[in-house]
Amino acid sequence: MTTSQTLSQPLLAVQDMRMVFEATGGMFSRHNVVAVDGISFQMHAEKPTLLTIVGESGSGKTTLARSLLGLRRPSSGSIRFRGQDLYAMSRAELHDYRKAVQPVFQDPYATYNPFYRIDRVLTMLVDKFNLADSKLAGQKLIEEALHAVDLRPHDVLGRYPHQLSGGERQRVMLARTYLMKPRLIIADEPISMIDAALRALFLNILLDFRDKQDISCIFITHNLATAYYLGGEIMVMCRGRVIERGDMDAVVNTPGHPYTQLLLEAVPSNNPRRRWTEKRAGLSIDTSELKFSPNACVFVSRCPHVMDICHQHRPALMRTPDGQEAACFLHGNQVFQDQTTITLEEKPTVKN
Amino acid sequence: MILADAWRRSAYFRVGASLLSFLVLIALLQPWLNGFLIGESDPISMGNFKAYLPPSTEHWLGTERWGRDVMALLLVGLRYSLLIAALAGSVATAIGIVIGFVAGYKGGRIDATLRTMTDMVLVIPSLPLLVTLAAYIPRVNIVTMALLLAAFSWPFTTRTIRAQVLSMKERPYIDLAITSGLRDWEIIFAEILPNLLPYLGVSLAISMGAAMLAEIGLQLIGLGPGNINTLGLMINWSIRWGALGLGKWQMVFAPVLCLVLIFVSLNLINIGLEQAFNPRLRAVTGE
Amino acid sequence: MARPLLDVQDIRIHYDTTRGSYKVVDGVNVKIKRNEIFGLAGESGCGKSTLVEGILRLIEPPGRIKSGSVRFYPLGDDEALGVDLVQLGEEELRQMRWKHLSYIPQGSMNSLNPIMRVEDQMIDVITTHADLSRQAARERANELLRTVGLSARAARAYPHELSGGMKQRAIIAMAMVLNPALVVADEPTTALDVNVQRAILEMIADIKQQTGATVIFVSHDMAVHAELVDRLAIMYAGEVVEVSDVYTIFENAQHPYSRRLIASIPALGGSRTRLESIPGMAPSPLQWPSGCRFHPRCPHAMSVCQQIAPPLIELTPGHQVACHLYYDVHELQLSPTQESEHAI
Repeated sequence: MTTSQTLSQPLLAVQDMRMVFEATGGMFSRHNVVAVDGISFQMHAEKPTLLTIVGESGSGKTTLARSLLGLRRPSSGSIRFRGQDLYAMSRAELHDYRKAVQPVFQDPYATYNPFYRIDRVLTMLVDKFNLADSKLAGQKLIEEALHAVDLRPHDVLGRYPHQLSGGERQRVMLARTYLMKPRLIIADEPISMIDAALRALFLNILLDFRDKQDISCIFITHNLATAYYLGGEIMVMCRGRVIERGDMDAVVNTPGHPYTQLLLEAVPSNNPRRRWTEKRAGLSIDTSELKFSPNACVFVSRCPHVMDICHQHRPALMRTPDGQEAACFLHGNQVFQDQTTITLEEKPTVKN
Repeated sequence: MILADAWRRSAYFRVGASLLSFLVLIALLQPWLNGFLIGESDPISMGNFKAYLPPSTEHWLGTERWGRDVMALLLVGLRYSLLIAALAGSVATAIGIVIGFVAGYKGGRIDATLRTMTDMVLVIPSLPLLVTLAAYIPRVNIVTMALLLAAFSWPFTTRTIRAQVLSMKERPYIDLAITSGLRDWEIIFAEILPNLLPYLGVSLAISMGAAMLAEIGLQLIGLGPGNINTLGLMINWSIRWGALGLGKWQMVFAPVLCLVLIFVSLNLINIGLEQAFNPRLRAVTGE
Repeated sequence: MARPLLDVQDIRIHYDTTRGSYKVVDGVNVKIKRNEIFGLAGESGCGKSTLVEGILRLIEPPGRIKSGSVRFYPLGDDEALGVDLVQLGEEELRQMRWKHLSYIPQGSMNSLNPIMRVEDQMIDVITTHADLSRQAARERANELLRTVGLSARAARAYPHELSGGMKQRAIIAMAMVLNPALVVADEPTTALDVNVQRAILEMIADIKQQTGATVIFVSHDMAVHAELVDRLAIMYAGEVVEVSDVYTIFENAQHPYSRRLIASIPALGGSRTRLESIPGMAPSPLQWPSGCRFHPRCPHAMSVCQQIAPPLIELTPGHQVACHLYYDVHELQLSPTQESEHAI
């Protein structure tokens, strides 16, 4: 592939990714868990984007993140970086990938090797990727990165992980990614384990990265309020499937999928004067309890608008009146089957 | 440094390490000490002194059946026993590290193959095999003896180390290392190994102890190599030639005491290492 | 004010270790009323979990309740009927637990006994602490499990067969089984999905409505407090810095820390104003800052803040704040310039 061809390819292209885990539930029962069930999306380099992937536990978002980072090969489907399959790359190509795509993980303690000082996560990158010509230049880069996340180098360098607070550790992680000036940061629940005030700082840094440094971010979270603050685009996952995606404001203000609607309503408001007015009596919505078959909509057992067709076919992502896409037959009759989209002839009938 | 941390944190380690260091020191100084005790004569060659002399200022533990100074023999025995244990233990641990790390980290087919190999050696009954070998190779030197012992004990260290590596592999900082472009061997040596050093220390101490036990066992039943004067051999001979019946109890108890001291020091070191590095035990100190 | 259900006075809980003394809870005064949901907010390390563990006498060495009292009036307003939980012996405490006060601990989904069926665990609790026959206990257990939305099949299940949300509901049912006057819930929804969280929060609101119990709700999540509680106390560095009804706290908090905390929380919907963060680092219980513990990070810090710790004083009825902006240290009263302005 020529250079110009490579550059015109999307930065990251996920195509029909599936991840199936074999789970032995005891001596005699074995069942497969489909953690990621046919996901496709793209991130483009020309437009720095903040894509928030929202999902509850069991949605597959962490599995997706790990595969995107090259940590685990998907069972089927492909993940391509500038057109090249991530899991078929040579060492040199993988090196380039790592330069362009960097992670921020959830646990600000466990991501540090307790044996070393925190400087190591920074110097490791400088050395491995030849980010500087001399030791002094490398030191300067590190200090600049720490300033970018509002840390004073002498407060932080030379210390062991347990000597810093969770917020500081997580910011050092962010400084580490800044050091690389990647094109894309993949952050998996990066703020769930740090204090509220530092969360705000962290989110603001990510916004600045996008606006001032052209660094895109895939931000994975279960917290819709955080997602909303980041703006950009949102992708909602449920039990391994993408059920809605599009512009943040469109999805939050006019959700296209009943599951998204439910999620939005369940977010506690910040305003004690606007509490939930009615109870969701009896409706226990636990995504891990949803029952559905591969050729049905994921939400059939709990959807207030369920129709016959929902039990018979799995909906494809379809355009809604407000511009986003939702996998719901309320918006059309396109079916997701064998990794492609098929249009059915009959119109969906509404159940009374 | 790991050792400095362990020393600082655990009284058990301090006692065990001091004791072991003392014993090792004596073993190292053995030639000079023996010179001090019995002059120019070779402690092992027989007939230097009169047989069965009682303990006196000249011979602190008396002499034995073949006219050799028991104390001098003891020092020689200590030296050889420690040497065999150290050598056998080190070789077993070294093999364990190489195979255990590779199997644990790589997983998949490599792991399956290595594990099968390890298990096959594991199930070989070592004692009958050693006995058979003893029957056919009556004269071995220290190195051969140590390697023989290591050949049967490496599966144990391998299994323990592999298990530790398996659990370490799942730590998030390994993910970070992978995304930082580190290669497999760099991860094994730079990320995992340093955190396993205390466990490796324990593993080494255990395999040294196991090697000693194996050697004593063989010597005691008379099937070990009769040409290396280890502590086990001393015990064997003294019992065989009726030291207890003759009232020469020091000939049995002296080597036994030495062996006990070695084991106790190894165990104390193990307890100390665990106390210093086991995170759960640290909760109370608030570290 | 009527006799509170729980009157915590100057409680100090310290952890003495080889490194020094961690003064995790250091002088907390708070009164909790009957039939209310009382929220305890603050970030990690502020001492809120330790405070409720202290109230429930669950502190293990090297932690100790150094001083203070916790007067509890489950049986009525009469002073003679009250007990000091700090002074009770083990046997009396055992009789208190489940019957007059119950506890839903952090990560409590994992505190169900894994080898007993859910129903049986509840029956155990009932028969140990109340005089009911096993059959009556079984009926009560099932009735309560039904109220929290668990079927008879779930009741007969083992904990590992239930999802996280179901286990949490079972724990709540168990906490209510003997209708205690006080229920303490420590981060009960933290590990749960947002849909399940909503169900649990509604359940807790029901507890207050239907049984008249008081719930102390501990959480670092301010949005959840906004949704649920009647009154709210904000803790920082082992102390309570502000207490008031939930509306006042969210709309008119006066302590600089409270204001910053509320301004740092993203809201779903509406305009996206840039969130504020709090500079600096949360202090360590080994060495709390002198004077007002928030002074190193406070934008309004004055020289007195470093020297003297401001007491918790009543700004308006029901609203208490510990801040020198409202307290004239020389007059030992509300500062006259601040009384009417409440300016920041």
